[in-house]
Amino acid sequence: MRYSWGMLVGSVRAALGLFFLGLFFLASPALLAADYVGSNVCRTCHPNVFATFSRNPHYKSIASGKEKPENTGCESCHGPGQDHVNAGGGKATIPVAFSGLAPEKVLDACLRCHSQTVSRANIRRSEHTQRDIVCTNCHSIHSSPAPKFLLAKQQQRELCYECHASVRAQFSMPFKHRVNEGFMQCTDCHNPHGAFAATWNMAARPRMVDQAVGNEEPCLKCHIDKRGPFVYEHAAVRVDGCETCHNPHGSTNARLLKRPVTFTLCLECHNGLGNFGRRLDGPQNPSASHNLADPRYQNCTTCHVRIHGSNGSQLFFR
Amino acid sequence: MTRTKIVFMAHVVAIALHAQPPVAPTAESVGLPRGDNISGYNVRQSFELGYRWHTVGGDTGMYRSTVNYGNGPRLLSSSLSVNSLEGHGGYFDQIQLNTQGLGNDPYESASLRIEKNRLYRYDLSWRSDAYYNPGLTISGGEHFLDTVRHVQDHDLTLFPQGSFKIFLGYSGNTQTGPALTTIQQFDVRGDEYPLFADIRRSQHEYRLGAELNMMGFRLNVLHAWVDFKDDTPVSLPAPSPGNNPTDLNSLTSLQRSEPYHGTSPYWRVALFRENKLWAANGRFTYVAGHRAFVDDETAFGFNRVGTPTGTQIVTLGDAERPALAANFTFSLFPSAKLTLTNQTSVSNIRMVGNSYYTQVTNGVFATPFNPFTYLGILTIANSTDADLRLTKWFAVRAGYEYSTRRIRSIEGADITGVPTPPAARVPIEQENALNTGLLGVRIHPLKALSILLDTEIGRADHPIYPVSQRNYETYRGRIEYKLRSVRVAGYSRTDYNTNWASLANFASRSRQNGIDGSWLPKNWFSIDASYTKLHLDTLGAINYFAQLSNVGPLQQVTTDQSRYVSNIHSGNLSARVSIRQRVDFSVGYSLVQDVGDGRLAPLALPGLSLGAPQVSAFAAAQTFPLRYLSPQGRVSVRISEKIRWNAGYQYYGYHEDFSALQNYRAHTGYASVLWAF
Repeated sequence: MRYSWGMLVGSVRAALGLFFLGLFFLASPALLAADYVGSNVCRTCHPNVFATFSRNPHYKSIASGKEKPENTGCESCHGPGQDHVNAGGGKATIPVAFSGLAPEKVLDACLRCHSQTVSRANIRRSEHTQRDIVCTNCHSIHSSPAPKFLLAKQQQRELCYECHASVRAQFSMPFKHRVNEGFMQCTDCHNPHGAFAATWNMAARPRMVDQAVGNEEPCLKCHIDKRGPFVYEHAAVRVDGCETCHNPHGSTNARLLKRPVTFTLCLECHNGLGNFGRRLDGPQNPSASHNLADPRYQNCTTCHVRIHGSNGSQLFFR
Repeated sequence: MTRTKIVFMAHVVAIALHAQPPVAPTAESVGLPRGDNISGYNVRQSFELGYRWHTVGGDTGMYRSTVNYGNGPRLLSSSLSVNSLEGHGGYFDQIQLNTQGLGNDPYESASLRIEKNRLYRYDLSWRSDAYYNPGLTISGGEHFLDTVRHVQDHDLTLFPQGSFKIFLGYSGNTQTGPALTTIQQFDVRGDEYPLFADIRRSQHEYRLGAELNMMGFRLNVLHAWVDFKDDTPVSLPAPSPGNNPTDLNSLTSLQRSEPYHGTSPYWRVALFRENKLWAANGRFTYVAGHRAFVDDETAFGFNRVGTPTGTQIVTLGDAERPALAANFTFSLFPSAKLTLTNQTSVSNIRMVGNSYYTQVTNGVFATPFNPFTYLGILTIANSTDADLRLTKWFAVRAGYEYSTRRIRSIEGADITGVPTPPAARVPIEQENALNTGLLGVRIHPLKALSILLDTEIGRADHPIYPVSQRNYETYRGRIEYKLRSVRVAGYSRTDYNTNWASLANFASRSRQNGIDGSWLPKNWFSIDASYTKLHLDTLGAINYFAQLSNVGPLQQVTTDQSRYVSNIHSGNLSARVSIRQRVDFSVGYSLVQDVGDGRLAPLALPGLSLGAPQVSAFAAAQTFPLRYLSPQGRVSVRISEKIRWNAGYQYYGYHEDFSALQNYRAHTGYASVLWAF
C-alpha cells in the first residue's frame, strides 16, 4: 500500500481535530455557553431588578458586549440560568443565590472579580471577614440607595453604626469629628476591607485603620501641620500615635483630649519614673519652677505651644 | 408585593435606621425617583432649598465649637444623576453629583463622578469645614481657632476596566483663618502672652500611577509629589502685661515670621495574585519627607525684674523623615472550611533634624548652637490567623502576632567652639517586643441569630510610656437577632491595661456595654433606639512640684496619683411615621451624660482620697460630669409628585455640672422645599 504525503497530512489534521473536539466535550458542563441564557432572559421575569440596572456599575459587563457569558450581567454573579429557566423559577435552581450563601462563599463570589486591588489586599485577614461580615452585609447590589459604591444604606455612617453602636455614641458627644454632619466618612480613616499593619503602636493595633499613603496615621491626611518632620519631635506622637492623647471619634473634652485638663494628661507620662521615654530615664517631670498649684502652670500648652513638634525649641516653646 | 411596595420598603429601611444627624437636610425623598429619559440618558435631579435659623443662650463660643450652624438661605442638598440607558453614551455613561450644605453651612461637601465605560472614570470630592474652637479649658481661651479647611481630591483613572490602567490624581488641603496662640518670654521664669496668628497652610499632592494585569498577576505602581507650606505670621496686637499682671514682666511688641516649606515625594508598589488555593500580595512604600524652615522672631518688653529687654532669635535648618513600609500577606485555602493567613510587615521611620540657633538679648550675642536630633523607629511584625468553619453554625478563629520595635534616639547640640564629644552622637537604643494572642468563636444557632465572642491578650516587655499598652486584655461579645423588620443587638467589651516600672504603676479599665435595635412593623412606621454605657477609669503615678500651703517653698509631690473616672451614658431614639405617604413626621432624641464618679462637687468624694498631699486642681480633674442633649423633630409634606415641603427644629443643650462658664442652650431650625424630577 502506498502512502502519499497528502494522506499523512490529512491524518494528522483529523487527529488534531478529534483531539480538540474531545477537549470541547470534556469541558465542564457548567462552562458550556449553552447553559448561560443571557440577561435578557432574566429580564422577562425580573423586570423590577432590570428597571434600574442600567444605573448599576455591574451593567458595564452587559454594555460591553465583549465579556464571556460567565462574566456578563446577572449570570456573572448568579451562575448559569438555564436550569432556573427550565424549572420555571425558584430559588433552589439559582446556582448562586446570595441570600442562602455562607459568608465565605459570598466573599469568594465577589472576589472573583473584586480581588487584587490595594484597598482590598487585606480582606482575607480583616476583622470583618473574621466575624462573618462580608460584602453583602454592607453592599446591596440590586436596591442600593447609594449608587456610587452600592451601599446598603444611603449614608455610610448608618451602615457602620448598625454594628458599632459605641462608635455612634462617641460621634454623638459634644466634641467629635464631623461624621454625623456629613463632612467626614468612616472610610476617611478606616478601611472596612482590612488595613495593613499599623506603622505605629507596635503594629498590632488598631487593625482597621487605613494609613495615609505616606505610611502615616490617617489623621495626618487632614492635619497637615502635625506631619512634620520636625527637628524636635514629640516622640509620643510618632511612636504610639495620636491616640496617646486624643480620642479620635469623639470626646466630652475639648480638642478630643483624653482628659478634661491638660496637666493630668501630660503628667501621667511626664512623671520621671522608671525607664520609660526616649532617653530611658522616665519622661521628665515638671521642674521645680512649675508650681502646679498655680493655675498658670496647669495649662501646659500655654508655654509648650508646639506640643506636636517644634523646629526651634526642644521644650516646644516656639 | 408590588414593585412599588418593594421599592418603597427599601427606601423606608434606608432612612429609618439613622443616628442623630443634624435635622437638615431632609432625609425623605419626594417619591420614587424614576427620572426622565433624554437622548439615551436617564436623568434624575433633586434640590432642597431652605433657610436655617438659630438662637443661642449662654456661651456662643462653645456652641460654635460643637454645633456651629448659623442663619441664612442654603442649598441644603442636591443631587444629579445621569446614566446612559444602554451603556454606550457619547462622552460619558454616568454622571453622579451630590452636594450638601452649600451656601454657608459650616460643613459643605460635594462629590462628583463622571465615567465612560472602559475609557475613563473621574472622581471629585470637595469638602469645607468651618472650625471654631475657643480652647477655653485647655489654655484659658488663648488657643482660639476660627479657621476654614478646604479639602479636595481628584482622581482620574484611564481604562478602568482594562488590563492596563493609568491613574492621575490631585489632592489639595488648605487651612486659613485667624487664631490665637501664646508665647513664653523672656526666660523660664517669665510670663505668657497671647499672640495673634493668621493661619496660612496648604498642601498639594500630585499622583501618577499605573496598573498592569498580566499572567494572573496584578502590578500597581504609584508615584506622588507632595508639597507643604506653612506661612503663618504671628504678632502681638497690643502691648500685654501677660497672664500674670502682678509681676514685672510685660511684652510691648513681637513679630515672628516662620516660613516652613517642604516636600514628601513617595513611591508605592503593590503586587497581587489570587487563585483557588492561595492568595498573595505585597506592598512596598517609601516616602522621603523633607522640611526647611526659618524662624525669625523679635520681641521687646520688660523682664521679670522690670528691666527693658529686647531679644531677637533666628533659627533655621531642615529636617528629614524617610519612611519605609513593606508588607507581604500570604493566604492559604487548604479546604473550603479553613483559611490561613500570614502577614509580615516592616516599618522603618527615621527623623533627622539639624538647625542653627542664635539669640541676641539686649545687643549681646548668646553663643549660637546647632541642635541635632535623631529619632528612628523600626518595627517588624508577623501575624498568623486561622479561621476554621467547623459546621454551618459554628466557626472558630485564632491568631498570634509577634512584633518587635527598636527606637534609636539622639538629642544633642554642637556649641560653637566646643567640640561635641563623640558619645553625644551615640544613639540611645531601646527595644520592645509584643506577643499577642487572639481567640474567637462565631455561633449561628438560627439564621437570624448570631453570637460573636472573642478575646485578645497582649504582653509587651518594654513600652515607651507609662500610658502605653503593656499587659492588656480585651474581651468582646456581641449578639444580634435580625429579621427583615426587626433587629436587636447587644454587645459588651472590656479592655484592661496594666503598665508598671519600679514602684510606679498605670492601670486603665474601660467597659463598653450597649443595646440597640430597630423595628419596622409597617412601611409607614419605624423606630430606632440605642443605649450605650461607656466606662473608663485610670490610675497613674504622677510627680510634680507645688506650693501646698500659702507660704513656703515649693514641695515635690511624689506620692500623688492621677485618677480619672468617666461614666458616660449615651442614648439615641428616633421614630418616623408616614401618613398616607403624604406627610412624614420624624422625631429624635440624643443624650450624652457623663455622671463622672458620682460626686456632687468638684472636690473628691470622701473616702477617695489617696492619703497623699494633693493639689485641689488634681482632685477636681478626676472627673468631668456633663450633659449634652439634642431633641429634634421634623415634618415633611408631599405637595405634589415632584415637590415636598419640610420644616424641622433641633435643640442643643450643653451643661457642665461643676462650672457654668461654657454652658449653652441653642434652638436651631429650618424650612425648605425639596424639588425632585
